[in-house]
Amino acid sequence: MNPHIVKTYGEELDQLSAEVILMGGLAEAQVADAVEAVARRDVALAQSVITRDHRLDELEKDIERKSIRLIALRQPMAADLRKTVAAMKISTSLERTGDLAKNIAKRAVIISEAEPMSPLTRSIERMGKLVSSRLRDVLDAYRSGKLDMAMTVWSSDTEVDEHYNALFRELLTYMMGDPRTISACTHILFMAKNLERIGDHATNIAEHIHYELTGEDYVEDRPKGTTV
Amino acid sequence: MTETSGTDKTYIPLGLLTGSVGLLLLITGALGQWNGPLWIGIALLGFSLHNLTQDVKRLRDAIPETPVHLPVNIDEDSGFQEALSALPDPVLIVSGFEPHDIAGRWIVFANAAARTLFGITGDNSLLVSSMRNPQLLDAVDVALFDRQARHTSFETSGAQDQFWQAWTAPLPNPTGAKKLALVVIHDETDTRRIERMRADFLANASHELRTPLASVSGFIETLRGPAKDDPAARDKFLGIMAAQAERMGRLINDLLSLSRIEMNEHVPPAGEADLSSAVNDVMDTLSVLAREKNVALRVTGPATGLYRITADRDQIIQVIQNLSDNALKYSSAGAEVHIDIRINQTKEQANAVREPGAARLVLLKPDRTPQSSDLYTVIRVRDSGPGIRREFLPRLAERFYRVEGQKSGDRLGTGLGLAIVKHIINRHRGGLLVESVSHSPPGEKETLGVLPDAPRSDHATPPPVVPLETFTAFTAYFPQPRRFDVPPEPHAITES
Repeated sequence: MNPHIVKTYGEELDQLSAEVILMGGLAEAQVADAVEAVARRDVALAQSVITRDHRLDELEKDIERKSIRLIALRQPMAADLRKTVAAMKISTSLERTGDLAKNIAKRAVIISEAEPMSPLTRSIERMGKLVSSRLRDVLDAYRSGKLDMAMTVWSSDTEVDEHYNALFRELLTYMMGDPRTISACTHILFMAKNLERIGDHATNIAEHIHYELTGEDYVEDRPKGTTV
Repeated sequence: MTETSGTDKTYIPLGLLTGSVGLLLLITGALGQWNGPLWIGIALLGFSLHNLTQDVKRLRDAIPETPVHLPVNIDEDSGFQEALSALPDPVLIVSGFEPHDIAGRWIVFANAAARTLFGITGDNSLLVSSMRNPQLLDAVDVALFDRQARHTSFETSGAQDQFWQAWTAPLPNPTGAKKLALVVIHDETDTRRIERMRADFLANASHELRTPLASVSGFIETLRGPAKDDPAARDKFLGIMAAQAERMGRLINDLLSLSRIEMNEHVPPAGEADLSSAVNDVMDTLSVLAREKNVALRVTGPATGLYRITADRDQIIQVIQNLSDNALKYSSAGAEVHIDIRINQTKEQANAVREPGAARLVLLKPDRTPQSSDLYTVIRVRDSGPGIRREFLPRLAERFYRVEGQKSGDRLGTGLGLAIVKHIINRHRGGLLVESVSHSPPGEKETLGVLPDAPRSDHATPPPVVPLETFTAFTAYFPQPRRFDVPPEPHAITES
C-alpha cells in the first residue's frame, strides 16, 4: 500500500483541526508548566517552557500555510470555510497564549533568585489553575464541537478578574510593607496580568468556536469585572 | 485506504463510460446541424446519471469501514480482546502512517478503562481528538516511528487533579503498512497525592503550630523564672497555656481530617445521607452554644429521612457543622442563623442570585460528570453577621486564610474550616457559593473593589439606595441520584 496517498479534501480539513487541537495541547502544557515553575521555583522547567515556545510558532505558521492553501485550492464554502478561518484565528490566539506563558516562565527564572514569597506564588498557582481549566474547557469544546460548553467558558471570565483584583491588592500590601520586595512583586503582577490575558484568549477562542459552529459573531456584552 | 479488493477487478464503471459517450454525442449534436446525436446524447446522459450513483455506492463500499485491522487476529483468538478490555488500566493501540500526518493517527483499539478516561465513543477515533497532552503524543510518536519504548508521566486536571504514568511501546504489524504502538496507562494519583500531601502537611503544620507553641514555651519560661512564686499569675498563665494547647489540638485535628479528605477526594462517596436529618444532628450539638450566645437557629426544608443523596454522612455533617459554626461565630446576640434546604434544584437554580445587590462568588463548581439526573440538593446557611468584603471572597476557601480584621474573636478558628468544606463538596462533585453584604470600612473608598453584579433586568429597577443588611450566606449543593417526588406542601422541620 502506498503511504503517499492523495489526500482528500475532508482529510485536509481534518488535518487542520487536528493540528489546532495539537497546538492547543501544547499551549495548555506551556501554561501549566510555566505556572508550576513559578510555584515550585523550578528554573529548569521554566527554561524548558522558554525553549519549547518555538514549536507553537511553527505550528501556527503551518496551520496558516495549510489554511491559505486550502482556501486557494479547494475554495471551501459555508461550514468548511468557517472551519478553516476559525482554525487560523484560534491558532493565532494559541500562539499568543504560548508567548504569554513564555513570558511567565522568563519572570519565574528572575524571581527564583529572590526570597521565596509563597503566599503570592500560591495565588499565582491558584489563578493559573483557574485559567488552565478554562483553556482546557474551551479546547474540549472545540474538539467536540459543543457550542454550549464554549459559551460557558465565554461567560465565566469574571472569576479570573476577581482573582486578579484580589492578587493586585495583596501585592500592594506587600510592596507597601517592604519596599525590597517591589521588584519581585512587579514580576508577579505581570505574571498575573499575563494569566488574565490568557483567560481573555480562552474567551476569544470560545468566540471563534461560536463563529465556526453558527456562522454568526457573538455580539452580546461579556460579563466582565473591572480590572486594573 | 482506497485500494480496491480482488473481487472488484471485473467491475466496469458503466456510469462513467456511458456518461462520457453521451456527453461527446451531445456536443457533436449541439455543434452540428443534425439533431440525432443530441437526443441520443441526452438519453445516454440520463442513463449514466442512474449508473453514476451506483458507481459512487460501489466505490464507497470498496473503502474499508475500519482504517486498519488489529495486528493480532483478536476475533479468532477469542479471549484476548476480552482480557484486554477487562484490564483495570487503560490500554490503547494507536496506528499511524507518517510522522507529519497528525490527522492520520487513529486509536484502533481502546479497552473499557481507556474509553472512560479519554471519553472515546466510536470504534475508531482520531488520536488527537481524545488526548492532546504533548508529552504523551511525543511518546506515541517515538513508539510509532522511532520504534522505541518509553515511560511518560502526565497529569489530567479537572476539579480533581490526576496523575498518570504511560508506557508506550512499538507493536509489530505483520499484515499492513501502518505502524502500530501500544499505550498502557497507569493511575499514579494516590502515590503522587501522598507525596504532595506529606510535604504540604509538614509545611502548614509547622508554620501554624509555631505561634501557639512559642506562646506556651514563653509562659513556661516565665513560670520557671519571674512568676515562680506568684500564684495569681500562675493561674492566669496556666489558663492561657491550656487555651493554646487546646488550639494546637484543634489545629492538628483539622489538619489531619483535611489530609484524610484530600486523600479520598477523587474517590466518589459510596454511602447515603439525608441532608435534613444531618442538619438535625448538627442542630442538636449546636443548640447549647446558640443558646449561650442568644442566637436563634432556624431550619427550613423538606421532611427528614425521605430524600437521600449519595454521600458520606460523616462528611456531610462536617460540612453543615463547619458552615453553621462559622455562622454562629460571626452572629451577635439576638441575631438569627437560617439554614435552608431545597431539593430538586437545577445547577442554575442552585447558583441563582437569591439576594440581589450582594457580592457573590462561586468558590467551587461541579466538574462535568455524566449524572443520571442533573439535579442538586441545596443547603444554604445564612447569618446576619458583619459580612465579608468582596475583595476577600476569592481567597475564602484557602487553608489558613483569615479575613482581615476578623482575626480576633472569643473562639479563634483554625482557618481550615472552609477548606475542609470545599474539599468535601468537591469529593461529592457538588458546588459551593458565597454571597455577602458588608459595609466598607470607614474612611476607605471602594476604588479597587469590584462593584456587585447589578441584576441586569430589562425593566428599569432603580438600584437599591438603602444600605443592605449585612450578612454572609454559604450555599452548598450536592448532586442527587434522581428527581425526588415532592409532597405538595414543604414544611419546616424545626424551629428553635
